[in-house]
Amino acid sequence: MAAPSERPRFERVDWSAVDATRRTVTPERTILAVGLLIVAALWLYDRYVAHVYLVAEWAVAPVDWAVMAGLVVLTAYGVVPAVRNREATLRVASAIRDRPVLVAALCFLGGLFVVGTVLPLVLGRPELNFGYVYQPPLGFAADAGWSPNCAGEIRQGTGIQRYCEGSLQAPLGTNGRGQLVESLLVSGARVAIYVVVFALAFVVPLATAVGVTAGFRGGRLDDVLRTYVDVQLCIPAIFLYFVGYMYVGASLALLLATFGLLSWGPVARLVRSEVLQRREDGYVVVARSLGASDWYVARRHVLPNVTNTLVPAVVHLVAILIVAEAGVAFLGFSDVELYSWGSTIAEGLSPDRGTAHQVWWVSTTPAVALAATVVSLKLVGDGLRDVLDPRGEH
Amino acid sequence: MSGDHSEPPADPLLAVEDLRTLIRADRGTVRAVDGVSFAVDRGEAVCLVGESGSGKSVTCESLTGIVPQPPAEIVGGSVTFDGIDLRAADTDRSAIRGARIGHVFQNPQHALDPVYSVGDQLVEAITIHREVDEATARERSIDLLGRVGIPRAAQRVDDYPHEFSGGMAQRVAVAIALAAEPDLLIADEPTTAVDVTVQARLIDLLRGLLDDGMGLLLITHDLRVVAALADRVLVMFGGTIVERGPVEAVFDRPAHPYTQALFDSYDGTTRLAERPSRDELPADGCRFRAECPHAVESCAGGEQPGFHTVGDGAGTDDHAASCVYYGDGYDAEVIQSAGRAVQQSATGDDDD
Amino acid sequence: MTERPDAEGEPLLAVEGLERHYPITEGWLRREVGRVRAVDGVSFEIREGEAFGLVGESGSGKTTLAHTLLGLEERTGGTVRFDGDPVSELSDAERRSFRRRVQLVVQDPNEAFNPRIRVGEAVAEPLALNGMDDADRRQAIVEDLLERVGLDAADTDRYPHEFSDGEKQRLAIARALVVDPDLVVADEPTSALDARVKSDILALLEEVRREFDVSLLFVSHDIDVVRRFCDRVAVMYLGEIVERGPTDRVLDAPAHPYTEVLLDSVPSLDPSDRSLVRPLTDTIPDPADPPSGCRFHTRCPAVVGPEELSAATWERLASFRFTVQTGELPAAIDLADPPDPATIRSVFDLPGTIDDEAIAEGVDDAVAALADGDLDRASERLAAVLPSVCEQQVPETVTVDGRPVKCHRHDPAIDAEPRPE
Repeated sequence: MAAPSERPRFERVDWSAVDATRRTVTPERTILAVGLLIVAALWLYDRYVAHVYLVAEWAVAPVDWAVMAGLVVLTAYGVVPAVRNREATLRVASAIRDRPVLVAALCFLGGLFVVGTVLPLVLGRPELNFGYVYQPPLGFAADAGWSPNCAGEIRQGTGIQRYCEGSLQAPLGTNGRGQLVESLLVSGARVAIYVVVFALAFVVPLATAVGVTAGFRGGRLDDVLRTYVDVQLCIPAIFLYFVGYMYVGASLALLLATFGLLSWGPVARLVRSEVLQRREDGYVVVARSLGASDWYVARRHVLPNVTNTLVPAVVHLVAILIVAEAGVAFLGFSDVELYSWGSTIAEGLSPDRGTAHQVWWVSTTPAVALAATVVSLKLVGDGLRDVLDPRGEH
Repeated sequence: MSGDHSEPPADPLLAVEDLRTLIRADRGTVRAVDGVSFAVDRGEAVCLVGESGSGKSVTCESLTGIVPQPPAEIVGGSVTFDGIDLRAADTDRSAIRGARIGHVFQNPQHALDPVYSVGDQLVEAITIHREVDEATARERSIDLLGRVGIPRAAQRVDDYPHEFSGGMAQRVAVAIALAAEPDLLIADEPTTAVDVTVQARLIDLLRGLLDDGMGLLLITHDLRVVAALADRVLVMFGGTIVERGPVEAVFDRPAHPYTQALFDSYDGTTRLAERPSRDELPADGCRFRAECPHAVESCAGGEQPGFHTVGDGAGTDDHAASCVYYGDGYDAEVIQSAGRAVQQSATGDDDD
Repeated sequence: MTERPDAEGEPLLAVEGLERHYPITEGWLRREVGRVRAVDGVSFEIREGEAFGLVGESGSGKTTLAHTLLGLEERTGGTVRFDGDPVSELSDAERRSFRRRVQLVVQDPNEAFNPRIRVGEAVAEPLALNGMDDADRRQAIVEDLLERVGLDAADTDRYPHEFSDGEKQRLAIARALVVDPDLVVADEPTSALDARVKSDILALLEEVRREFDVSLLFVSHDIDVVRRFCDRVAVMYLGEIVERGPTDRVLDAPAHPYTEVLLDSVPSLDPSDRSLVRPLTDTIPDPADPPSGCRFHTRCPAVVGPEELSAATWERLASFRFTVQTGELPAAIDLADPPDPATIRSVFDLPGTIDDEAIAEGVDDAVAALADGDLDRASERLAAVLPSVCEQQVPETVTVDGRPVKCHRHDPAIDAEPRPE
């Protein structure tokens, strides 16, 4: 036990000696800065020196850079704080463990993330192989006449009917260009993950920033922002996308930009409303009286206490964007080379051989993947909300 | 049985006998109301005084059964209102609530539905219990608003709750409670959330209702409100009544050590004691013994100490305290002298 | 409640003519159409080590005043000097220092803490925000401080919901103390607490004040608490300070009629004394449109009337006049179906004969107008024949009993008999 004269007492603190400069260097900012510098360096290299091929012949497009930057943001402001607040993270983790459905959904999304980011680098683009079109999945059979070759056994049916059976070469079958459905799933996963990362790294922070600013500052700024959001909500994103499409052509970057820029309104409104409600809560008033910036107060005192509404809203936003992307691709307005799930589904529904029913695996498999993704997102949203619910802790 | 208590007057409006209510929470079961007995007459104001956690609100909610069950459960005792057994299974309590017993709660903005006009809520309160045509009900609503002192009642009857200030809203809540002309009004801290000048008016209003013959059971933690309104006082602690009596007697000479501590706090001579939380209070014997400077062994164990008359009171309106010192074998003077000292310093220099 | 000797040099906090107005705007361009004068020209001083009470009801502006002092609300006028320096002219570093030296305790202990943060961290937050980066040092200071306010060092790991109201308030006080402030602004710190816990917390505050020589600005509506705790007190009504001075003088010998009404509205602890005073009218005026002249005049039992009338007559007529003016008619008088003049006269208890002819005529006219359902005309007539300096002129601040009071009755320049003693 320290002697009384050694025990630190609040009245003995020499405040003139305490360095009261605001800390500008935080771990989050460091990681962010370093990460962005790396991405910027790679970009410069790609632009001026030589193409950076993340995978053979697959040149890096602007959207890839954006997503890389997004991953840096998410790491800096998602992973790093979680690691620093180990104890809070562990508590959340153990609460998650008690919910098997949430665990399953998180595992699915985690798996999707790996599949979407790593596998495309390894597997590359889905390969065209016109010798083996419309191969059925393992355990099923298709009309052998559709394809010049059959990867599996050929079975004789009635009359001149011959069936090509599925094989391990194409366990999930192939589409009308001989591309393996598995690789189409992988490329579609990549697109989905791109949407998720973009939404979480750029759209959500933008919405939150606007909401916090409008809520705390009030006055004319609030009026302007609210009016803008109201106007923004009236513009259908797909319309803007089509306009852009006419000039720039199909691109994922365009889609993310248009849908992303026009979809943050509801979340911003929600954040603003919560900020307005919580502004006069005791601990918020005290924090403001201590001179903390609006941002600090929002981040530390307001946002963690509004997860009940915020988490489901954010997840909903992400889900909407995924479905929107799939819809646009389904309609045929996205970059074919992306091979997103939406375009694969569309392909499968109007095959050039046989009917949609007969080559069901082309459309059904990605549809299942898409559905599973959206459902998982929703489950994660609800589950996280429950886990983070402040009242649940008492 | 809570021990000796004076014979209630013939036919009290409300007679409560050994009421017991439990509240089952995750951390255990709390005996929120633990053997409470009292009576209220017509035209009489009985004040139930206590701190938060003393069980006073749960007691009142248990009378008409509006306490949420679960997590609460009324497990014992009897409640008789004008001869009707309120705890009997076949009694239609919802017919009695509002029509015969009215409730007023602490925060008026919570008691009023923000999406309906005040007039709508009054009409609803009136017509729930009686067949009355709309025009008559509306007239009666305006009348009620006037009675509780809302100015320009005819115009304000269509206003919404948020258009009323705190004090006015509380009066509206009283009006709603009075809508079906109850015989007994149970008011739970009605003056706590309002300014002192508004409180003065509410006290006036309640006095007027008492003069009209209504019975009043008022819960409060404010001894001044008790002094202004009560005919009789019941002091609650830890789910039990520890002292009761006519207001002059109790204020003149607070008998129970807890009552003395309450008066003490008005004057400010107190020490930085460690107070046990609600869960840590003993559930037997005298609930106050952990904080009582005079506690002895017999304070522990068994039922709470019986009620003994304080002083030489005789007759139906005894001043009695649930404390062993007032029984045989103990010197009541120990407590009483402490009481006198407290009383003098608390009310002594309060000259208005 | 000892009268502190004048400290040498500056008072710790000197407020002069402080104003906080909220503009009422209309339209997209935010054209100002009015102002809510929440704080309208308030002046007072707080000395070192003193407990200064600020008493008022809801709408008085006391909380807005506290928030404006802390910088939570923008000042629209007047000056605030802390330790001699005007707060508006502080450099960034000095402003940070000011923020550290003035701390806040909020009213509701249940809302005072972020439910997701452990109390140890919450109490340490002011240290961190003021630049103390060493987490261990913060922890040690907080643990020490918690013990000194009556809690346990081990409590730092617990969450706010695990504490009782009284304990939470102790934590709030600890948080306010942790950066060694010179002034603590306590906004109704005991209003949400039970009687005995209230007593404990006040004892703690008293101890804090004595041991650390901290000044306290104690905002409250509870006169008992202020009487017990504060050295000096200021009474606020509708954004103005109407009276201020040493607590025992103000509360035992109030000079301003509002202070009297406030004190007399508090029921006595003696059950045999059931007198209660009420103001003339019920409605607290709208801060956006306060009464002219003295803001309290519509409710003042001591409002100055025409000298022709006797005090008793004027009392009833004043009540009549201001009740009609605010439109707060009692239930018996429904403008849609007004009663006859005789009933009206009896409802308002108007005197049968009034000495002054002009006034008597005016009153008759007003009664007749009411019987016709014409509230405006009645109000006009009464205002014409029953003028009052209290509504025409804003009272000067005069010195009564050695302290400033804002009331015409005490102003020797105004003819207002009888005077209070």
